[in-house]
Amino acid sequence: MPERSLVRVCYVEDDEDIQKIVRMALERLGKMTIEIVSDPMKAIDAIVAFKPDLVMLDWMMPGMDGPTLFRKMKDNPATRDLPVVFITAKASSAEMNELRALGAAGAISKPFAPKELPEQLRAIWSTLP
Amino acid sequence: MIPSSALSDMSSIAPTAVAGVASLDSAKTDPTLILADRVQQLYNQVPVAVGATLVLGAITTFELYDLRLRDLVLFWWIVVAIISVSQIGLLLAYRRSETRNSAPQQWHRWLGLAALAGGSAWGFAAAVFFPAHSDEQQVFLAFMLAGIVSGGVPIYAASWPVYALYAAGIVVPFTYILATFGKVLLEALALLLPFFYAANVLVAYRINRVFNDGYRLRHAYGHLTGDYTALNQRLEEQIAELMEAHREVDASGRKLALFAERAPIAVFETDRNATVLEMNPVAENIFGYSAIELTGRNMLRTLISPGDPGLGNDWWADFVKQGVPVTGLRVQCQRRDGLEIVCEFSLTPLVNDAGDLLSVIAQGRDVTQQLAAERLKKEFTSTLSHELRTPLTSIIGSLQLVNSGVVGEPGKEITELTVIAERNAQRLLDLINDLLDIEKIESGKIELYPEVFALDDLVREAITLNRAYAERFKVRYAAVGELPPAQVNVDRKRLFQVVTNLLSNAAKFSPEGGEVEISMEDRNGRAYVGIHDRGAGIPENFRHRIFSRFAQADSALTRQKSGTGLGLSISRRLVELMEGEIGFVDREGGGTTFWFELPKLSNGSRKGT
Repeated sequence: MPERSLVRVCYVEDDEDIQKIVRMALERLGKMTIEIVSDPMKAIDAIVAFKPDLVMLDWMMPGMDGPTLFRKMKDNPATRDLPVVFITAKASSAEMNELRALGAAGAISKPFAPKELPEQLRAIWSTLP
Repeated sequence: MIPSSALSDMSSIAPTAVAGVASLDSAKTDPTLILADRVQQLYNQVPVAVGATLVLGAITTFELYDLRLRDLVLFWWIVVAIISVSQIGLLLAYRRSETRNSAPQQWHRWLGLAALAGGSAWGFAAAVFFPAHSDEQQVFLAFMLAGIVSGGVPIYAASWPVYALYAAGIVVPFTYILATFGKVLLEALALLLPFFYAANVLVAYRINRVFNDGYRLRHAYGHLTGDYTALNQRLEEQIAELMEAHREVDASGRKLALFAERAPIAVFETDRNATVLEMNPVAENIFGYSAIELTGRNMLRTLISPGDPGLGNDWWADFVKQGVPVTGLRVQCQRRDGLEIVCEFSLTPLVNDAGDLLSVIAQGRDVTQQLAAERLKKEFTSTLSHELRTPLTSIIGSLQLVNSGVVGEPGKEITELTVIAERNAQRLLDLINDLLDIEKIESGKIELYPEVFALDDLVREAITLNRAYAERFKVRYAAVGELPPAQVNVDRKRLFQVVTNLLSNAAKFSPEGGEVEISMEDRNGRAYVGIHDRGAGIPENFRHRIFSRFAQADSALTRQKSGTGLGLSISRRLVELMEGEIGFVDREGGGTTFWFELPKLSNGSRKGT
């Protein structure tokens, strides 16, 4: 379990409605600082600039899907070690297992309960080394 | 088809025939049967013997009949007649008997006694009448007796002991009389008589042996003839069976040809090098080649796309070597017009008894359209899943945030409406999830990820997480006693789904203020979980389809209680996929127990074992 608590979260998501809900849940209920990135093509730069504790990735996005972005993050030394949690409405169990094998910290399926989202993230955070 | 019995019978002809010939000298010459034949021969002579005795007896009576011994001669004649009648009676009894062939020894003995009686009658004549009559009559009697002794040889020769008894009955008293008569000549005759007797018995013995051999040969020949008749008959039957089999094979061949010609799949016959020998019209349609064009060409080089690595020469060589049928082989093929298609092939090697591959039957169907449809369906399911869940995430998320008071306390009426909206959005989500699950299960695409975990922990967790749901129906969950520990190795997430389904059903259908009891136990080494409610029970007309899709007892209740009617159907399939069982029983005092059982790991089993 990391020594410090989970405070800064970066969320890459193209759907504006979900962006707002996640922002509200994490800021108001979870007391976290959140950075939302709408365009996955600009995500790496935004993540490097924001320096989050954890990154949340949507699975299906226009331009670049979550798994591809995840692999790009793994190729980049600045983002390689950041824990990544997928938020997805699509992934099959097999694909999830594959991502876990690649090093994803966890996955939360859509639709999620906003009330429980901060706790779910903290639970995943607590399992990290 | 050739009846297998015909073939096996064919192979058994020769050994049987050889066995028949080999046993000619032993089993076929049963001594009892030969004795029975000889005894029959003896009885056949009885009328001749009786006739001769009566005629000669009458002549003797006439010749010896004088006043002095009239009564004695008459008495003798009556005795001869009685013996003759007895012999005729014995003959009739013999002819009616059912044991004459099975027990000839008995009849042989009786005939021996009858012959002794007949001979003794003549011996009596010799003993009584010889001393009392004149010389002429004595000469007559001596000749008569000698003739009767000799005449007995052809009559009783089929059994020398019978003859010996018969002749002894005459010779013994006659010899005694001659020896004690007091005349030297007659004493000399008495000395000769035993030699005469022995010579006659010897002749009878020799004739007896000839008879024996004759009957033995007759039996052996009879059996031999019988064997060959039976053999011939079997051969004829087997030829008839073979002809029938041939007709059936012929008909099957025509039927097969018809099937191949009319079947809606491509059928090729190739040699071991994949050279096409024959093909049906459907194969012509699918691949665009005529049979004349393709016959004699290599099927792999002509039909399989160069880029497909699935069915190359190496693969084919291995297949021919193995000689084992292959099914479901999907191969990228190229039609004559260049169009790429995907075909699913079944390859069947035809191998003879020696293991040599005679030819290969390749049956193929064009699955290009089917694959496209499957792809489309998968994309549709995936899109449905994503496109429906994403807006629902926003709807449910927003409503939850409002209802949780994060954005300030809404008024009472607003809260009521947003709660309704959230509940129904959740219902819509459940329906989508259930439909996706059913689709996955039915298409066989569902994947389970077994892991070892404590079932009792999972049940406790499900009770905790569903408690809020039950409270909506004013129902309480209560574990019965301490849930016993049980390790299982199944997909945890899917089993949680099953337990949640059973718990929520029990809450939904329990009366307000009711209690749902949850119990666990070990049943024959399997982990049993029971969820017991005090609901109205399962109606009789619904019991048989409770685990079917869209099953709910009545639609009014469905609206009242909510639910898709898919939950139990999904639960059953999931439990079955976990090699478990699921069911329900009526509960004493009203209500229902839904239960499931899963294979339990033995104590001490750990993850990865």
